[in-house]
Order: sequence, then C-alpha cells, then structure tokens
Amino acid sequence: MTLWQLIKAEFRSILTNPVVTLTVFGGVVFYSFLYPLPYEQQTPREQPIAIVNLDGSQTSLKLERMVDATPQVKVVTRLHTIADAKQAFLDRDITGFLVIPEYFYKDLMLGRSPTLAYAADASYFLVYGTVVEGLAQAGGTLGAQVKVSKMVIDGVPIRMASQNYSAIKLNMKPTFNPTMGYIEYVVPAVFVLILQQTLIMAVGLQTGSQRHGRGYWSRVSPHALMLARTLVFVAIYYLLSAYYFGFSFERLNINHIAKASDLLTMLLPFLLSCCGLGLWLGYLLPRRELVTLVVLVSSMPLIFLAGFIWPVESIPPPLLWFADLSPSTWAIKGLLALNQMGATWQQVAQPWTALWALTALWGGIAYWMAKRHTDPVVA
Amino acid sequence: MAIKISQWHILRRDIWLLSCLTWIPVLLAVVIWGVFSAGIAHDLPIGIVDLQHSQLSRKLTQSLDASPSLEVSRHYASVTEAKNAMIEGNIYAYAVIPSKFDQDILQHRQPQLSVFFNSQYILVAKLINSAVTQAQGYFAAQLEVVGNLIQGDTTTLSAVAQAVPLSTQISALFNRNNNYAQFLVTAIVPAIWQICIVVSTILILAAHFRVYAGKSGFDFLGSTPNSRLASILSQYIPVFMAQGALYLYWFYALLDWPMEGSIVVILLAQFVTIIACMIMGALFFFLSMDPARAMSFAGAFTAPSFAFMGITFPTSDMSSLALAWRSLLPISHYIEVQVSQASYGAAAAQSLSSLTPMVGYLIPLSLTARLINRHRAAALTRRKEEAA
Repeated sequence: MTLWQLIKAEFRSILTNPVVTLTVFGGVVFYSFLYPLPYEQQTPREQPIAIVNLDGSQTSLKLERMVDATPQVKVVTRLHTIADAKQAFLDRDITGFLVIPEYFYKDLMLGRSPTLAYAADASYFLVYGTVVEGLAQAGGTLGAQVKVSKMVIDGVPIRMASQNYSAIKLNMKPTFNPTMGYIEYVVPAVFVLILQQTLIMAVGLQTGSQRHGRGYWSRVSPHALMLARTLVFVAIYYLLSAYYFGFSFERLNINHIAKASDLLTMLLPFLLSCCGLGLWLGYLLPRRELVTLVVLVSSMPLIFLAGFIWPVESIPPPLLWFADLSPSTWAIKGLLALNQMGATWQQVAQPWTALWALTALWGGIAYWMAKRHTDPVVA
Repeated sequence: MAIKISQWHILRRDIWLLSCLTWIPVLLAVVIWGVFSAGIAHDLPIGIVDLQHSQLSRKLTQSLDASPSLEVSRHYASVTEAKNAMIEGNIYAYAVIPSKFDQDILQHRQPQLSVFFNSQYILVAKLINSAVTQAQGYFAAQLEVVGNLIQGDTTTLSAVAQAVPLSTQISALFNRNNNYAQFLVTAIVPAIWQICIVVSTILILAAHFRVYAGKSGFDFLGSTPNSRLASILSQYIPVFMAQGALYLYWFYALLDWPMEGSIVVILLAQFVTIIACMIMGALFFFLSMDPARAMSFAGAFTAPSFAFMGITFPTSDMSSLALAWRSLLPISHYIEVQVSQASYGAAAAQSLSSLTPMVGYLIPLSLTARLINRHRAAALTRRKEEAA
C-alpha cells in the first residue's frame, strides 16, 4: 500500500465513521454558535438598582438623575428605608442600591465630606462590578462638580476651575479589547480549546474504533498509519481552524489582526501535538468512549488553568506544570498574542517552540504505544 | 425469567465507572479549588514608563506599588518597550508618567497619567482598572491636601474635605471580601458534578449492556425493561447524593464560606438535579445505543454549561435563545437554588420554585422510554429472524 492509497483509505474511513464525523463536524460547528450565545450582549448594562434618599435636597435629586443617566445602572425604584431596600434585594427586584445620607447637602456645603453608601450583590461579580462602577462614576462626577462650584465661589475663573478640580488627570486605556467585550474575551481562547478537544477526541475515536477489528490499518506499519492519520486530520482541522478564525471571528466581530501565514504556522505544531495526544489516548484506553470521557472531564481544569481567566501569578505552580503539558495552554497564549494583540513572530517564539516540544513528546509516546498495540483488541 | 444483576460485579468489571463515581470528581473539584485557592488576585505585575524621574513621579510609582492588587515589576525606558512586554505577557498594564509631570502639577496644568491595561483578560483588567483609579485618587488627594495646607488658612480635616468633597463606602453583599474562590468554585464544582452524573449514567448503561448483554442484548431487563432500568439506575442516586453532600460540606463547613439558608433545601434540589441528569444521560445512550456517540452528545450538552449558568455573565443580559438553551441544562436550575440559599437565605418555598421548569424533564423521560421499547422490539425481532 502506498502512502497515497493509505491516506485515501484513511480519509474514507474517517468520513464513514459516524462518531468521528459527529464529533468533528457536528461538534465544531455546533460549538461555534453555542459558545458565544450567552455573551451576545457583550457587557451587562442597565442593572436595576434602588435609591434610598434620606436627604431629599436638590443636590441629592440631581445625584439620583446622574446615577440613572449612567449606562451601567437604571434606577427602578425609590425607597425610604434600608430595610425596604434589603427586601427588594431578596425579591430579586434590584441588584444594588445607593444610600444618600441625611443632611447630605448640608454636609457637602459645609465641607464635612458626607459618605455615600453603595451596596451591590457580590454573588455575581460582573453585576457587582457594573453597579459599583456606575455608582462610583456618578458620585465622582458630582464630587468634581461640587469642587468646581466651590472653586468658583472662592473666585477662581470657571475655565481654570473646570480643569483643576483634580491635580492629575487619569486616562485609563483598555488595550487589545477596547470595549471590554465579553465575546472578545472568552471566544478567542475557548475556540482554541474546542479545536484541541474535538481533535483529540476524533483522533482517539478513530484509533479506538479500528483497534476492535482488522482492515487496511492492520496491513501497514504503525508509523505509516500514524503519519497518514495525522496528515488527514491536520488537513481537516486546518479547514475548521479557518472556519473559526475566519468566518466565526468575522461573524462575531472579533479582532483578527494576525497574518494568515503566521496563524497557519502557529497552528501546525498545535494540531500535530493534539494528534499525538489523540493517538496516545486511542491506543491507551480500552474502549473508545473513554477517550471522549477523558477529554470531557479535562476541559474545565484546562480552561481555568490557561491563564486568561485567572492570572497565572495566582495559580499554584504544580497545577501550571500540568497545564503546560496541554497544547491548548501554549496555543491560547500564542494565538491570543498574534491575533488579538498584534504580536510579531519573534514575540511568540516561546509558545511556538513549546508546541513543537509537545509534538515531539506526545508523538513519541503515541508511537511507542502504537508499536506495542498492533494486535486488535478482542472486545 | 430475569437475570440476576449485581452492581458490585459491574463495578469490579468496569474500573472506569468506579473511578467516575469516586476519585475523578473529587480530583477535578480539588484542582479547580487549587486554581482559585488564592481567592484574591494580588501583586499583578505592571510596568512604569517614567519620563520625568522626579520625586513626585517616584511617589506616584510607590502609591501604585502600594496597592495590594498591583506590583510595579519593571521600569521601561520607552512606551514601545512596555507595550512589547505587555504583548509578551510579562506585565498586565503600564503607566506612562509624562515629562514635565512635576512642573504641570505645580502650575495646576493637570498632567495626564495614561495607563494602558490588557483588556483581553477582563477579570484582571477590571482589577487593575479599579486599583489604579484608587491609587491615583489617593495620590491626587494627597497632593491637594498638601496644597490646601500650604495656603495656611485651613485645618488638616477641612483640607481633606476640600480635596475629597464626597466619600464613599462600598459594601459587597454576600461575598464580603470579593473572594473569587467562593464566587467561582461554588459554581464550577456543581457544573463538574453535572458532567460526572451524565457521564456516569452512560457508563452504567454501557456496562450493563456489555456485561449482561445475553442473546438479544435486552435479556437482563426482563419483560418490564423500563421499570427494571429505573430500579438499576436508582441504586446510584445515593452515590451522586454523597458527591453533592460532600462538596456542600467542603464549601460551607470546611472552607467556612457563608451559608445563610438551609442545606436541606439544597440537598432537595440536588436530588431533583440528579434525576434530571440521569434522564438526560439515559436519553443520550438510547438515542444510538452506542456509548461513544452517547458520550459525544453528553459532551456537547454538558461541557459549556458553566457559561450558561449565569454566574459569570448575568442571565438578565442573555438573549432569549441563550436562555432557552440554559433552561435545558439541569444545573442552571439547581444553581439558582444554591445561590438563593447560600447568599440570600431565601424561604424554602420561594427558592425551590425555581425548580418547577424541571417538570419538563418528563418529556426526555418519555422519549427515552419509547426509545428503549423500540430498540428492544428491534432486538427481539432480529433474534427471531436469526432463530428462523
């Protein structure tokens, strides 16, 4: 059997293996729509809050309007006591509240810096952050206005006062994901993991399926079979990667600033090392559904260890060593840098090298396993 | 005549099933807790591009470094260098202190402090954003207080009040110190638990059909396959209940995270969730009777469930399509009960009412029953044909 014939046989066998086609095409396409689904709105807005105004002065009413005007929160109700606010909380009518203290205006004018109290539900951090951000913004603006008006009273010209209410101006610039959108945050990294997990499953399932019988695969040497299988799957996954990083990113309006050639070069060792892992699992595990099982239960730890959700500086090192054995960890790093942050090729040399090392590691282990498991398993 | 079925025999024959019921969920939960065990991200590395090199700019650097969330790890000579370091992942943000910083401050020309932070990592970005805003506010207030005092006609207290006309007090309700471990682990572990239940159900069914297959494959189920199967599966409910109880004990007793409500209500919700998950597992298995395909369906169904639970991204901002998918997942109903009990200490009835949509799992249940009967009928005719 020539290599070309083997590749053709392998390709036909993959397309006629229902569980492999289901995992590869079904899984990848299904996830490309399902995963971004919860985050379509990108950032939470207009969180319902209540205001407990114990002051009732003109300035406090102005603050209420300013709070309502911020995009982050929406005042749905005005209450009279903190106890009422607590009840509204438990009824899930509001996600936070603002208490304007008694004598707020008076204290403000007398320069006794009254205290605004914000409370928000920290069981949901994103909601909490949004509410606090909105309230702090409104409070900060009012504080600045008060300062400016006091300076004007003291005889400072308004133009100078409006520039001088703070000693320095802070300019916070979100970089790489300027809108702080959730899709741009989750999708580029999770898609890499989806590619890895479905590829490992598919290669493992294909290998596992064939171990229970005889066929063209029993007549060739393990390295020829591994080579043919890897070539076919890498070709299929190049197409699927193009679908993810091209069509899907375009559909979701995600940055894709890397050059296509850079992406393809980065993907090569990634796909190869995933094939190695899949082959190894396929030969190692006694039944093919166990490949899916292992891949499935490893997904959650891998995603949280990848370093884009929780900073790696705060993760215990032994867990990171484990994550380093997964191609996804390095591929997420490299592809995010290339595609989202516009890194040059030199800047992603480290993940690229690591992916080649993993290719050697998993490919070597898979080859060693394949040579020991040439006889079919009797189920 | 029914074949005698021993679950001990099944467990001895299938080491993978035994692992999925015992150490695998525990290991996964411990790993997830390990990731977030720090609880609070502190000392995130940031860089400084100091174009001024004066006492004031050093003081600003110090006040950034003093923030518990930040650590000034390096100084860069130029913005390009700092930007490259951010792309390479050495720092999460860099602050640019402009030249003439001191001069502008003294002449009230409001110099601009620009901070570029990597917003690709949203959680880190938000932490850095608020830490820098706070540190900068503190630094500016200090400068102003000193400025006000220099004028000589105020007391320290009123100088402070002039610089900070409004003070604020922020209360993080239900998670007082913004502990990420408490926030995420209490949601991720139930999501993993759901995966383990669905997967184990498939393994249990596959093991029975492998070990007790008999001639037609359905012999071991006797003449009443549905009730026989239900009684086999129900023997595993205590195992899943034990897993659920174990993580509740771990969260609320050992780690001592706040628990305002009643554990009993959560256990009740867990019971309903287990049944729903087992129904889904059985449905996936009997769709094709092929454990590998069933496992792929289980993966597609359960793997993204954490994203839909509404803990990280609120449900109020999800589209109706996302909410529809969410309501198919047993764990998203369960988590509402857990949060309402643990955080809000809500009344049992109010809390359990979020489980009512789970009546809908009767539909997959009846589908499964129909599938079983169809597969069984097909198997029996096949055997008759072979006999003939």
